[in-house]
Amino acid sequence: MKRVMLVTCALMGIVLSFSSCGKDPLKDMTAEESRIYITNHADSTDFTSFKTFSIADSVVVASNTNNDGRALTDYDKKLIADVTSALEARGYTLVSRTSKPDLAVNLTRIDNSYSAIIYDPGYWAGYGGYYDPFYWGYPGYGYYWPTYYQVYQNERAVSIDIVDLKHPVNNNLVAVWNALMRGTGVWSIDNVDKMVSAVFAQSTYLKTTN
Amino acid sequence: MKSLKLWILLMIASLGVQSAFSQVRSPLSLNVDYSIAQPFGSLKDYTNKTSFRGWRAGLQYHLNDQLAIGLRTGFQEFYEKLPRAVYSDKSGDISAVQTRTLQVTPILATVQYQLSKPDAAVIPYVGLGVGTANMVYNKYWGQFSERYNSWQFMASPEVGINVPFGKGSPVLLNASLQYNFAPYSQQEITNFNVIQANVGLKVHIN
Repeated sequence: MKRVMLVTCALMGIVLSFSSCGKDPLKDMTAEESRIYITNHADSTDFTSFKTFSIADSVVVASNTNNDGRALTDYDKKLIADVTSALEARGYTLVSRTSKPDLAVNLTRIDNSYSAIIYDPGYWAGYGGYYDPFYWGYPGYGYYWPTYYQVYQNERAVSIDIVDLKHPVNNNLVAVWNALMRGTGVWSIDNVDKMVSAVFAQSTYLKTTN
Repeated sequence: MKSLKLWILLMIASLGVQSAFSQVRSPLSLNVDYSIAQPFGSLKDYTNKTSFRGWRAGLQYHLNDQLAIGLRTGFQEFYEKLPRAVYSDKSGDISAVQTRTLQVTPILATVQYQLSKPDAAVIPYVGLGVGTANMVYNKYWGQFSERYNSWQFMASPEVGINVPFGKGSPVLLNASLQYNFAPYSQQEITNFNVIQANVGLKVHIN
């Protein structure tokens, strides 16, 4: 009987060690697989009604430290170039900020590496010193859609906003499209092509005709 | 805690009255099985892959040659990784590699009826488990987890066989098929339906 008990205990031990804990998906995930690309747009917007756009000349770095501001690193230059190319490929024409563009494009790198803050673009966009409030001629902008997502602690993200300059509401601008890129390596210059390509590919409505 | 006390009492009782039974084996038994599970219904929409990560273990007290009552627990994990795709929901359009997992840990009271005498070469049986199950739904959007943890009612009818390793041996091979049902509703899942196959050992303890 002692032997039977030993065999049983051994068997139980093997079974428990084999499958008592679940498989950890994060251990079986590449950096590319870890990234998610979220896009949102105003359903009521007819994107073919816009013809021209202008893009910010630098990228805002929004962080939970006191180092907020604008930057123009190689990464930022590539991000500006890729978003510009993507919009031109959809039929929009790049014009200068002073040429009364239909759309404005803002780019933001979000750095939440130090402590948890909730990313709510409807709250901070255009405020709090992240943007020059009157960069686009208005004090700021909001969004048509509610925001459900938040940026976690120890996370870096990248956000692209397209703002309607033609139809200000109560002297405020409204963003008509937003892309948020999250996950490992979103601040790596090697991933910019793939990320920008992905967010435009899933936004087939974002196009115009000349 | 009440269940534990009940089992301690049953174990003590079994030692005292064991000789009074005409059973071939001692009344208290332990079983440990490896389990494979196949999802059905809406669970299949969530994860379509057969789960090879599972086990179950239980204690049974044989009231007589054919009827036994017991307690059983276990673990089964359903896991499926889907290639990158675009999903549309209230948060917008999300491009992600989804990893869908569901971990199920049941705690069931069981009753089992053996269809032949305990000295038979093969002992078929039918059984029923009723109780609760801890369900951990965890859907990863890339590296970001969407997790829900809840307890659900679970019922689990079962058919199987026990094959003794020799006449009167306290060690028996166990093989069985069970159907697990829980009225579990979470995101894509409207009910939990699983067919589970088990193979392992049943050991009568002195």
